[in-house]
Amino acid sequence: MKALLTFLPLFRQRSGAMLLALSLSLITLVAGVSLLGTSGWFITATALTTAGLGFNLFVPSAMVRGLSFVRILARYGERLVGHNATLRLLSDLRGWLFQRLFPRLPLPDRSLRHGDLVSRLTADVDALDTAFLVAIGPLVAAVIVGGAITAVLVVLLPAAALPYGLALALAGLGVPAAMVAAGRRAGRASVAARADLRMGVLDGMKGHADLLLLGFLGTTAERFEYLGEETSRLNLRLGAITSAGSLLVQVLAAIALVGTLWAGLVALEGGRIEGPLMAGLVLAVLGSFEVTGLIVRSTSKATQAMAAAERLVALAEMPTPVLEPASPVVIDRSDQTISLDHVTFAYPGLPSVLDDITLSVAAGERVAIIGPSGSGKTTLLHLLLRFSDPQAGTIRLGSTPIPAIRTADLHANMALLSQDSPVFIDTIRNNLLIGRADADEDALWQALAKAQLDGHIRTLPKGLDTIIGEAGRTFSAGQARRLCLARALLSGAPVLLLDEPTNALDRETEEAFFEVLATAAKDRTVIMVTHASIPDGTVDRVLTLEHGKLA
Amino acid sequence: MTTPKDKSGAKALNMIARRGGGPLILAMSAPILGGLLLIWQAWTLSDVLGRAIEGGEAASALMPAVAIVLGLLLVRALLGAVGEQAGLVGAERIKRHVRQALFTQMLARPPRATDLAPSGVAAAAIVDQVDAVEGYFARYLPAALQAALLPLIFGAVILPLDWVAGLLFLVTAPLIPLFMALVGWGAQIATDRQARALSHLTGRFADRLRGLLTLKLFGREQAETAGIVDASEALRLRTIKVLRIAFLSSAVLEFFAALGVAGIALYVGLTFIDYLQLRSGPLTLQLGMFLLLMAPEVYNPLRLFASHYHDRAAARSAIAEITQQLGVSPNMPVTLADIAPRSGSPIDVTLSDVTLRTPDHMAGVALDISVHVSPGQNVALLGPSGSGKSTLLEAIVRLRDHTGSILLDGRPLDQWSEAEMRGRTFLLTQKPRIIHASIAENIALARPGATRQEIERAAEHADVSGFAGGLSEGLDTLVGEDGVGLSGGQAQRVALARLFLRDASLILLDEPTAHLDQTLEREVVTRLLDYARGRTLIVATHSEALAARMDKAYRLVGGTLLSTPLLNQKRNIA
Repeated sequence: MKALLTFLPLFRQRSGAMLLALSLSLITLVAGVSLLGTSGWFITATALTTAGLGFNLFVPSAMVRGLSFVRILARYGERLVGHNATLRLLSDLRGWLFQRLFPRLPLPDRSLRHGDLVSRLTADVDALDTAFLVAIGPLVAAVIVGGAITAVLVVLLPAAALPYGLALALAGLGVPAAMVAAGRRAGRASVAARADLRMGVLDGMKGHADLLLLGFLGTTAERFEYLGEETSRLNLRLGAITSAGSLLVQVLAAIALVGTLWAGLVALEGGRIEGPLMAGLVLAVLGSFEVTGLIVRSTSKATQAMAAAERLVALAEMPTPVLEPASPVVIDRSDQTISLDHVTFAYPGLPSVLDDITLSVAAGERVAIIGPSGSGKTTLLHLLLRFSDPQAGTIRLGSTPIPAIRTADLHANMALLSQDSPVFIDTIRNNLLIGRADADEDALWQALAKAQLDGHIRTLPKGLDTIIGEAGRTFSAGQARRLCLARALLSGAPVLLLDEPTNALDRETEEAFFEVLATAAKDRTVIMVTHASIPDGTVDRVLTLEHGKLA
Repeated sequence: MTTPKDKSGAKALNMIARRGGGPLILAMSAPILGGLLLIWQAWTLSDVLGRAIEGGEAASALMPAVAIVLGLLLVRALLGAVGEQAGLVGAERIKRHVRQALFTQMLARPPRATDLAPSGVAAAAIVDQVDAVEGYFARYLPAALQAALLPLIFGAVILPLDWVAGLLFLVTAPLIPLFMALVGWGAQIATDRQARALSHLTGRFADRLRGLLTLKLFGREQAETAGIVDASEALRLRTIKVLRIAFLSSAVLEFFAALGVAGIALYVGLTFIDYLQLRSGPLTLQLGMFLLLMAPEVYNPLRLFASHYHDRAAARSAIAEITQQLGVSPNMPVTLADIAPRSGSPIDVTLSDVTLRTPDHMAGVALDISVHVSPGQNVALLGPSGSGKSTLLEAIVRLRDHTGSILLDGRPLDQWSEAEMRGRTFLLTQKPRIIHASIAENIALARPGATRQEIERAAEHADVSGFAGGLSEGLDTLVGEDGVGLSGGQAQRVALARLFLRDASLILLDEPTAHLDQTLEREVVTRLLDYARGRTLIVATHSEALAARMDKAYRLVGGTLLSTPLLNQKRNIA
């Protein structure tokens, strides 16, 4: 519930539309209850009247017709207004989540799986955005309508007020509370099972060739079946809570009706109430069951929404890896010296990866850092991009310690080509434009030429507008890498950070690439991490990183 | 005016409905029984009201009838809950069946087929879109049966009691589905479009999330956030279009339901004051009240039907969409079996006039290649990236189509059974998948049931132990999607470790040392060559150092294969 309150500001943005939807739904319900009540009163009164044709027909018949039309219009309006507000909220929520997510990158939690993240964004946000329409709105309406009828009963049939009021209060408040308590754990387990199921699909599809080659498809199918059964089982457990809840609500409604009926019969016998009014009240109570019918569905939606809210908040409130400066310093583009001063870094709970490193790279200098796998080369680049702050020492750009620079400015100043730079399912053009949104056609081809990819792309029938598939499926790994390189070159950042740039390129292309790099990166600072042997003239300096020390 | 897609969706739903079994039948029959009991309940309630108000009977005399009303209410509540749960059980059975069918059929297809859906789309289809059938089976079908039967049953019961009311019900009730169908057509088409939009949006999420960090580094936070909001807004506009029509159909219903209640109230009232005299006999308050109580009930099943009507449209769209996207049927799961490694003598590989094309058949990557690798030989395959080395390796183990002939041990590929092919060969792909499991489990994919000792030895051989030792839980450390937490080189080594459990007679390795530095490469290659003794080994690589330690090397350039001299280094120096 507390997590749900976090989203209050977002809900409030749409509060006008939501209040309108709630009012319309109340009008619908009240019109329905009144229609049945008035009708009951009307036919009983006419049955008992001795006035014959002298009976005043006008008021009741006008009311009956009027209420019918009010109901039809209010219902249509309520649904449209409510759904529209809900969908707007959905867009709000998605934007909200992206906004929260970006500053928290890279996410530290290695168990935060990709499939899980996707499920959070879609399913959780969906569960949350309908919270008002199908969860909170109907519950509020049930309580208001129940309260109103109880109030009417207090005046007209006091003996029925207690059983009706009590039963409705239990149905509208007690049962939902019990369901939430019972459903929370089951709901969380169910969501987790779904995430596992999704991961099962992703593992199967992305690892399809590997699993086939290893003869592992049987176990893969078996494991997936197990995940499917788990998902089903937990879903049914949630369903059982809902079914039990609806049984309880129906039983309470039965008690409310029979209680009112009995109180009415006793009052009628005692002459404390007129027949038509008594009939009208019984029918009105019957009519109010429309609202109790919604309670259960709303409650299960509310439970889902709360679980979703918790997960989203957990993600959105993760500490940002680094703090943004309170008063950021603007980068002095004329001083691009990068210096590390006695920098020490360790991942939480692990020995130091970088141990007292001191290094200075002058503007326009090209430096290669080599060293065994896992020696911390990539970590060094990540520290320059300020994915984390070192435990000791200072990193400076020019004379400014990088924590004083806005990370966005820092990233605009340094382009990274990493080991797993992705190719997006999009056109080649759009993939490049991510590097610089306002690049023109010429700039795109230039960047491609520098990455030696222009030749291949010119042979494609659709050229730059060719859509490349998942992980660049129509591209070889080397080509996909070079596309990412072109993107990095396009960005215009004065500093290029290259993390194994020639990985998966053959020796010839690799050498050509290094040659190109020397010219393409003219006037740019290059810090390259690699284990490839680097031809003479590619870089100005080669440093070796081993056992946390730079030599 | 049903679209072909609608039809195929409907057909698919009918096919899988059988999997619902007993629970689905119970879910459909419980509400009908409840409806019948409702007639009794309304009759008894109106009887109580009539006798008390018109007849002036004492409350105590009405006690038994009131008890019957209570009893009926409780029994109907129970029936409702049982029906609901049974519907869910049936729907879950069907969903499980469909998911398994889709997943196994996807696995049974060739992994390099060009028309395979991207994994994000497949996940959205199999996990999320399959959920759309739940509403159809658990709620729509029971509601449809009620809507078809109950109004007619109610009408038939009422007709002999009062022909005017009976006729009103019997005439208006069938009109409703007619109106709704009229309204529903528009909704169906819009729903189709919406389902597609939804799956695109999910696919886009998956893809952008994968590269979220890259987007951040290029300063795309604002643009991508705006992009996601725009995409959601576009979906909203689409959805509202669907809803405007869908809600219209429920307004039609609301209209008839309100009309029914108001009409009966006025009819009964006017009859009582003798304004209307359509009946042959007099009308009692009990009967009048019974008609009024039944009036909303006649339309209730239809209202329920309407509120679940979109479940049908959604399910049809979803199932048709799934079928179209994945290209597989939701009905028949395929039985897949593991294939255990089989040891044997090294395999002879002979290629004559082999031509390979890119998956989209746009360009030839290898043209008229002929080569012979004798049993037990170790061969390097060099060539510029994109020259088709990976494709060639994949063709040898039947992952790619080819023309010309590829013979393993003198037999064409299509004469190799799947069990023999997979049992005796091993291919390490260029970007092997690290599944979400522990490192040990990832290695054990190669041989289910491998002992811990075997796994550890394999980890040792591929130098996985080196870095795993530094992790808090060693080989039991959980590694995630795409090997989150593992560097490229580490992931490659985990995948390489699988080789040592496979005992293959033909080993194909695609860039096994691409991410390794020279020292590590040397160590790993030494163990590799040691293991490859008595097996045929073909390695695609960029590393001259690796190639130099092979018996022979070929270079794939411009689609042709050339024998290339080795550097002076000879193997067996390690």
